[in-house]
Amino acid sequence: MIQLIDLCKTYPSPEGEVVALQDVSLTIPDGTIYGIIGLSGAGKSTLVRCINLLERPTSGQVLIDGEDITALPRKKLLELRRSVGMIFQNFNLLEQRTVEANVRFPLELVHMPREETDARVSELLELVGLADKAKSYPSQLSGGQKQRVAIARALATKPKYVLCDEATSALDPATTDAILDLIKDINRKLGVTVVVITHEMRVVESICTHVAVIDNSRIAEEGSVSDVFSFPQSDIAKQLIIPNLIRSLDGGDGTKLRLVFNGEQSDEPIISALAMECRVAVNILYADTKNIDGKTFGHMVITVPAEKSDTVRRYLDEHKVSYREEV
Amino acid sequence: MSTLFSQLWSNGGFWIGVLETLYMTAASTLLAYIIGLPLGIVLVITDRDGLTPVTWLNKILSVFVNLIRSFPFIILMVALVPVASFLFHNSVGNGVMIFMLVIASAPFVARMVESSLKEVDKGVIEAARSMGANTFEIITKVYLPEAKPSLIVGAVISTVTILGYSAMSGTIAGGGLGAIATRARNVYADDVIWLCVALTVVVVQVIQEVGMLIARKVDKRRRVSVHRKKTKIK
Repeated sequence: MIQLIDLCKTYPSPEGEVVALQDVSLTIPDGTIYGIIGLSGAGKSTLVRCINLLERPTSGQVLIDGEDITALPRKKLLELRRSVGMIFQNFNLLEQRTVEANVRFPLELVHMPREETDARVSELLELVGLADKAKSYPSQLSGGQKQRVAIARALATKPKYVLCDEATSALDPATTDAILDLIKDINRKLGVTVVVITHEMRVVESICTHVAVIDNSRIAEEGSVSDVFSFPQSDIAKQLIIPNLIRSLDGGDGTKLRLVFNGEQSDEPIISALAMECRVAVNILYADTKNIDGKTFGHMVITVPAEKSDTVRRYLDEHKVSYREEV
Repeated sequence: MSTLFSQLWSNGGFWIGVLETLYMTAASTLLAYIIGLPLGIVLVITDRDGLTPVTWLNKILSVFVNLIRSFPFIILMVALVPVASFLFHNSVGNGVMIFMLVIASAPFVARMVESSLKEVDKGVIEAARSMGANTFEIITKVYLPEAKPSLIVGAVISTVTILGYSAMSGTIAGGGLGAIATRARNVYADDVIWLCVALTVVVVQVIQEVGMLIARKVDKRRRVSVHRKKTKIK
């Protein structure tokens, strides 16, 4: 388990101190894929670097499995970093080393015997699907392949935790999906706890179990992905999760309701049924839903005439559709 | 043809001059790197955003390097004559010349090394840190190997510069093509001077071309894939 307690980080600058993190407290339970989402400059990259102390927090504690690592002597800290793998937006591979030599790098640092290393390297390349590229150099690989190498390298020392800093931000959508699948796989098969830093909603949506929204150096909101996504509380979370929605709410009369589909509803055409059964004219202001495995996920904003609003609410309750009245 | 020319031609003086120049250049470059390489590494890692920032040390070294580098070589050389005679009880000869060349070029080499190492992607250094590499491991396993092509290019430039210095120092100490040219100037043997120039040009070209070839050969970025593609098209 990773716990961040009252983390603060400020940088000196000619115009005074710049605050990167302020009173950040988070608990990242083992086995989760924990998303940290925020806009550029919100402090998320600093936050993830505080977890393995690539950046030292100005104050606060970082507990990994209960141990405060900010107090560790340097040698112990270097050892600890081997149990926390990290992957980066720009892959950060050693350009002058082959794929297999890149994966071997962290094993060289722990002085693993040669034969054991070779076996481990081929096992890892197998895992990320790059066994045939062992002798290639990074410059011969595509972005997605480079990130696979970086993942293999991050997993080499069998870390308990993997930190992903914008790991898919430099990749195209299809490659992003493939890399996210791989991360999900690793989490499931190897039981590795993954911390995902991103500015892309769909990354959190597709792999994370938990999410923290960071804004202006502070944690704005935190919780399970389904909770935060269904009913974001903070302005920043609303803006990130439902950006168009907020704008569309400006128009329309009557009672505005935001419906949330979280996969628990049956796949019947619920709006048409609502209109017919309650004899109400429904105006759809916004809809962003998708069908995954026959279940519906997403949001919809509708307006119904104020006098019919109670009937509509009752209908929605019966059909297990969560909703909020929006003003 | 001047008397000096025929004399040097018949007793192999030109050949000896080339060999002496090569020997002094090679020895000076090697020694300059023995000092300049660690100095360059220290300049990089003690830098404000380096691995182990030690700002005062960095400042001192930097000022020291700049100080020596700001001397025109010819002046530094003259200034070093008394130092050399004190150290070696001698102010001429190849040893003195190598001493002068090393003093003059080590700071230059340090700056070359520094700029090569600073080209290494900061992200790669960060990745190595995230894997628990210590400073020494980052230098030996990341900085130096990743900067290798650039370091070789730097070494080629340094060698050519030192070769130029060695010709200059031939005016006051040591041998080589510079010394022969100086002698020729005193007896107005222009043909000797021109041959010395031609030989220097050849030596420089060879060093430059071979060096660049090696630098390209060891670089694993891009080139390999381009090469592969070409063969495929065929």
